[in-house]
Amino acid sequence: MVHLSEAQEKLKKYREDNERKSKEVLELWDSSVKHKIKQLGNDRYLVLEQVLIAACDCNRIDVAKVCLQMLLNKFPDSLRVRRLAITILEAEEKYDEALESLDKLIKADETNAQTRRHKVAILKAKCQISEAIKELVEYLKKFMVDQEGWQELSNLYLLEGEYAKSAYCMEEMILHNSQNHLYHQRNADIRYTQGGAENLELARAHYSYAILLNPNNIRALYGLYLTARSLISSQKNNQTKKNTFKKIATLSLKRVEHMYSEKKQLNKKNQLYVLETLMGSLHLSLN
Amino acid sequence: MAELVLDINIRGWVFLPIVLITFLVGVIRHYVSLLITSQKKVELTQVQDSQVLIRSRMLRENGRYISKQGFYMRRHYFNNEENGYFKTQKRAAPAQTAMPDPSMMTEMLKGNVTNVLPMVVIGGWINWMFSGFVTTKVPFPLTLRFKPMLQRGIELVSLDAAWVSSASWYFLNVFGLRSIYALVLGENNAADQSRLMQDQMSGAAMSMPMDPKVAFKAEWEALEISSHKWALADLDNEVLNVLLNKSIK
Repeated sequence: MVHLSEAQEKLKKYREDNERKSKEVLELWDSSVKHKIKQLGNDRYLVLEQVLIAACDCNRIDVAKVCLQMLLNKFPDSLRVRRLAITILEAEEKYDEALESLDKLIKADETNAQTRRHKVAILKAKCQISEAIKELVEYLKKFMVDQEGWQELSNLYLLEGEYAKSAYCMEEMILHNSQNHLYHQRNADIRYTQGGAENLELARAHYSYAILLNPNNIRALYGLYLTARSLISSQKNNQTKKNTFKKIATLSLKRVEHMYSEKKQLNKKNQLYVLETLMGSLHLSLN
Repeated sequence: MAELVLDINIRGWVFLPIVLITFLVGVIRHYVSLLITSQKKVELTQVQDSQVLIRSRMLRENGRYISKQGFYMRRHYFNNEENGYFKTQKRAAPAQTAMPDPSMMTEMLKGNVTNVLPMVVIGGWINWMFSGFVTTKVPFPLTLRFKPMLQRGIELVSLDAAWVSSASWYFLNVFGLRSIYALVLGENNAADQSRLMQDQMSGAAMSMPMDPKVAFKAEWEALEISSHKWALADLDNEVLNVLLNKSIK
């Protein structure tokens, strides 16, 4: 039995750190919070919301419905609570109903970004990727600085094999945060996959920049190796350029190999260490 | 200097009442502001406008990190003569009359009723009611510079700076009760005056009705003169250097 205040403290920490931890939240709910929800004071509605989402994650619809009822009693016409009801519908895979009520919500409050994002998520869950893309594009026309939206759109386009559009979204991410090596690497990945001399050049530049930002980005290193290899074989480049590419290819490959061998040694050491300690404990118990 | 001894009545009728009054006023203010604040309704176009401006600014700042084609595509989207975003969006300029928006006026009034009015009224009343008392003493020595801060209302040159006057005690309470409010009313309460003061500082610039037309025009101009200068053009040598350095190690 966890003490109530302790549970409350933990739940609050999860909320503040934006941690989902659905299983833990549900355990806390089952073990202590469930019967004493009245004692939580003003916090209790936040806790109810948190538990509801966690319950949907863990397919405990019964718990979610209990929470929803309590929230509905307090806030009968809150949009936020209605969105939670939709979350439950979604968890029950009643997507069409969920979409219907979401449309109503969007009409009720046009400036709420969350409801629109929710709609895209449901469409994605239904595997209607092209619909989801359409919806997301509409959303991004209104809310242009939603980084997560752009990232999701990039992923959706990748699912559809639309590399050029996906790269466009990735570029948007770079505009938001130009010093994140992962964005550059991702953009280069997409360009490399797309192929063609121009895109390979772009991929090389972005891989290079990713490596400059973080020399340990192994994916970027390997990507640079691959792009340099392809560029060597292309006809357009002159000899001096080809030489640099050769140098880059060999060096980046060396670096990748080096990093892997380091990792391997480290792992070996760790394994050895674990084995030794095991042997040691065996030894002790034998004595 | 002889040690000062305060009358017990000062504790009972000045020191504690001031704490109580400030605290209760804070609590009342919290509930009054809960009662009369209305949810601010934001227009969708407003959101869109501000986000477009941010995106365009980012394009100008970080455009050199993306491909040339990407940069000009975006610039074209914003700026082209026929159907560029900044060219086609016609926003009605907010009316430039003396009373722009009645709802704004009520908002301002509400803000004044809950923030400024109690501050002035209670502050003035406390100043008048409890003026001229030495209420308490901080338990550490202070330099003379603290005298105007801690001894408002008492102009005694010889009084030690550690003593606190009633008016100053009131102000200490106003700013110092924040954590007590958080304890009693929960986080993000409206009782805290110091937070409101900060809001007022930054709020003045924010609540100005922005004219999107002007902002769009300025942004259009700025974007029009910015051109693409690729930051990732010649990284070969740098990358080679990095790789060489790393492999030597």
